[in-house]
Amino acid sequence: MKKIVLLITILLILSGCSAKSYDGEVNVLNWTSYIPQEVIRDFENEYNIKVNYGTYSSNEELLAKISSSSSGTYDLIFPSDYMIELMIERDMIEPLDKTKLNNIDNINSLFLKQKFDKTNKYSLPFLAATTTIVVNRKNIKDPITSYNDLLKEEYKNNIIILDDQRIVIGMALQANGYSMNETDKDKLDNAKKWLLKLNKNIKAFDSDSPKTFLITNEVDLGVIWNAEAIIAKEENESIEIIYPKDGFALSLDNYAIVKKAKNKDNAYKFIDYLLRDDVSKKITEEYPYINTNKNCQNVSTDELKYILDNATYVENIGSNISTYDKIWAEIK
Amino acid sequence: MKKKDFGFKTIFILPIVIYTLVLIVLPIIYVLFLSFCTSDSYGGINYQFTIDNYINIFDITYIKMFVKSALIALVTTFICLLISYPFALILRRKSESVKNLATKLIMVPFLTNSLIRTYGWIILLRKNGVINNVLTGAGLIEFPLNLMYNKVGIIIGMVYTLLPFMLLPVCSAVFELDKNVIEAAKDLGAKPLQIFKNIILPQTISGAFNGSLMVFIPSIGYFFIADILGGGKTMIIGNLIKNQFLTARNWPFGSAISIFLIIITFALVKVYKRLGGKIEDLGGL
Repeated sequence: MKKIVLLITILLILSGCSAKSYDGEVNVLNWTSYIPQEVIRDFENEYNIKVNYGTYSSNEELLAKISSSSSGTYDLIFPSDYMIELMIERDMIEPLDKTKLNNIDNINSLFLKQKFDKTNKYSLPFLAATTTIVVNRKNIKDPITSYNDLLKEEYKNNIIILDDQRIVIGMALQANGYSMNETDKDKLDNAKKWLLKLNKNIKAFDSDSPKTFLITNEVDLGVIWNAEAIIAKEENESIEIIYPKDGFALSLDNYAIVKKAKNKDNAYKFIDYLLRDDVSKKITEEYPYINTNKNCQNVSTDELKYILDNATYVENIGSNISTYDKIWAEIK
Repeated sequence: MKKKDFGFKTIFILPIVIYTLVLIVLPIIYVLFLSFCTSDSYGGINYQFTIDNYINIFDITYIKMFVKSALIALVTTFICLLISYPFALILRRKSESVKNLATKLIMVPFLTNSLIRTYGWIILLRKNGVINNVLTGAGLIEFPLNLMYNKVGIIIGMVYTLLPFMLLPVCSAVFELDKNVIEAAKDLGAKPLQIFKNIILPQTISGAFNGSLMVFIPSIGYFFIADILGGGKTMIIGNLIKNQFLTARNWPFGSAISIFLIIITFALVKVYKRLGGKIEDLGGL
C-alpha cells in the first residue's frame, strides 16, 4: 500500500513538472510538412498560447476528420480551393472577421477573390502549389515541353508521379487537350487509354516525398508539386523544372475557421502571426511553396502571372468522382 | 457466497464485454448499416435503402482487382509456409531453451511499429540500396534489380510483416508431433519426403491452415505495404476500401466491400473448421 501511495505521489510530481501554464490554446489541423516546428514554438512563446497541432495529407482526410469529430474539436484548418467551396456549401466554416487581422494587407491581391470564394468571406490564402514536370538533365537530354513527351518507350520505369487520382487523371485529360475537370465519359475513356500507355514508364505513385526518388537517382522524370521539385533541385543541380504547355494544376491552400470553434480569438492571433513578413519568410524558406505574402514573394511577378493565367484549379465534380475512382482502380 | 462470486466475476468480465461491444460489435453493425445506404455527391450519406453497393462490387474492374489482390495474398501465404516448415522442423530437434529463445525472437519485431519497419526495407531494396549495391559491387549483376515499386516488393514486405503469424502456429503444431511415430516411419523405410507428406503434414495441417488464415486475410488488407513497397502502383482490396473512405468519398460502397471481406473471412474459417481446426486456436482472429 505504501508503495502504491509513493508511486502515485511520484507520478503526480512528474506530471506537474512538464505542465507549463498557458493563457489559452488553439487547435490547428494542417497539411504535413507545411509549417516548421520552430515557427509554432515561437508563437507559443510570444503569445503564451498552446498550439495543439495535428496534420492531414489530403483534403478528403481533412473533411473526414472534421465531419467525424464533435464540433469544437478543431479551430483552424487549411483546406485547398475546391474543399473551401465544398465546406461553404456544407456550412462547415465560419465567415472570417477581417478586423481581427492586422497583417491582412500583406496578402498579394493576385491570390484574392478566387472563384471558390469570390469575396474571401470565408477564406484567405496561405500558400500555393502547382504541379510541374521535373527532369534530371544529366541523364535525359530530349526536349520535354508536354505530358505527351513522357510517353517515350525509353523512359520505362523512370517516372515518379503524385499518388492523387484527380491530379493524375487531370493530367491525362490535359495531355489529350481536354479540361482537367472533365466529366464526359468518352473523354475520360481517352484519358484512361493515355494513362495505360504511360503506366509502363511509371516507377511509382507517391505524394508523401516524391523528391526522394529524384534525389536518390531512382528516376529521372517526374510530375510533382513545385515545392518538392525546388527541394530536389537544391539537392541535385541537374534537375530542370518545366511548366507543361498542356496546362497544369494549381492548388491554393487557405486559412479557414471551423464552425463552432472554441478558440476563435486565438485562431485569429495565429493567422495574424502567420501573415507577418518575418514568419511567412521562415515558412517558405523551409518549404518552398509559392508565398502569397507580397513582401516575401519567392516567385517573380512574371512567373506568378504565367502560373495564374495557365494553371487550373481542381474543381469539385460531385458524384462523377466515382468514374475517376474506377479509372484509378483500372490503371493500378 | 454465490452472489459475491457473481459480482467478482462480473467486475472482471465487464470491461472486456464493454470493450468488444463498443469497439468491435457496434462499429461492425454501423458498417453493415452504412453498406445499405446511398451516398450523396459530396460524400455524405443518404439514409435510403439500396443493395447497389453490393451489386457494384461485382463490376469487372473490381473483380480483376480482387483476383490480383488474392493472388498476391496466396503467394505470400505460400512463401510463409515454405519458410515456416523447415524452420519448425529444424527447431523441433533442439533443446527446450533454444526453442523458447527462438519463439521469443520471432516476437521481437512486434516491438517496433510495422510502418517503420516497412520504411526500413526501402533502404535495403531501392535501386541504390544496400542489396543492389552489394550485388553490383561483387560483380554478380550488371544492372540493379527492380526489387521494389512492383509486386515483388509488395510480396517481400507482406512475407516479412506476416511471417510471425505463420511461424507461431506451425511451430506449435510441429512441436507437438510424436517423435516415435516419425522414427517408426523411418524404420519402416519411408523417405523424408514420404514422412513429410504422410505423417507430418496431416498432423500439422490445422496449424498450417491457422497460420495461412492469419497471413492471407491481412495480406489482402495491408494497404500501406502496397503503397510503400509497391510504389502505389498495385492496388489491393485494402487500398480500394481506403479510397472509398477518403478520395472517392463513398462510405457506403467502402462499407459494402468491408462486409464482403468479412463474409469471405467467415467462409475461410468455416473451411478451417471442416479441416479439423479448433476455433480457439485462431486466437488473434
